[in-house]
Amino acid sequence: MARRPDRPGQRELPSRKGSCDAPPSTTELVIRNEIPQLALLSAAIERIGREHALAQKPLVQLQVTLDEIVSNVIKYAWPEGGSHEIRIQITVDAGNVKVDVADDGMSFDPRNTAPPAPPPSGQRRRPGGVGLHMVRQLMDSFEYTRIGGWNHSTLTKQCTIGTHTK
Amino acid sequence: MGASTLQISEVRAGQTCILALAGRIDSTNADQLTARVGKLFEAGEKNLVVDFKEVLYLTSAAFRVLLVATDDAERSAARFALCGVLGHVRELFEMGGLLDAFTIHASREDAIEQLR
Repeated sequence: MARRPDRPGQRELPSRKGSCDAPPSTTELVIRNEIPQLALLSAAIERIGREHALAQKPLVQLQVTLDEIVSNVIKYAWPEGGSHEIRIQITVDAGNVKVDVADDGMSFDPRNTAPPAPPPSGQRRRPGGVGLHMVRQLMDSFEYTRIGGWNHSTLTKQCTIGTHTK
Repeated sequence: MGASTLQISEVRAGQTCILALAGRIDSTNADQLTARVGKLFEAGEKNLVVDFKEVLYLTSAAFRVLLVATDDAERSAARFALCGVLGHVRELFEMGGLLDAFTIHASREDAIEQLR
């Protein structure tokens, strides 16, 4: 699977690991629009978390967010079907993690989905809309742009460094 | 990868079946849980508890499974409850607005007691 550091070398600097003044490092992944490919993404987040000694809680929140955003793209971006690429860029800069998810599917701003409606009385909750509703609460910022036929969802999370407490 | 990230083990306590989960529940493996729960209700299970104590995190894919399981339980006149919903996992239920969508017991012991 295609994965390349944007700035080769920087990501691996052992002496700067987990340090606040480490230079920004970017990991780029290109996956296909198939649900099992999400396992590559969660493995990458886990590895980045280890390399930068990010605390577990924000790391978990990033894992949940990426699963929600990318599974949404896989399910809805290409109603016509077919095999497509999803490009994910993860940048760690002084404990600030920025994730960019890009797809060339139909134009869709995930920030504007309605929060899940409370069920009519006597009826049960339906699952729709819950994922993006969680993402809006989990991340510090959630931006969207459409550039040259690509949707870009950009999310940031401030992660504390060096603590692994739950 | 995906196949080994969620472990499901089955424990019996009298008339109650406990599915103890460990790891993470996301869109790559939620189907495993759907299949397991579906099979138990099909086999006539009347008291099912899902224990989240060892779960690191879950996504909305897990909520989907649990909502379907709640419907399945109702259709087969079975009781379905959760326990061990703590820490990160509890926060995620809260953010999803789903804490009150399920019967949640404080601990496995409590769940077994209530479903006796």
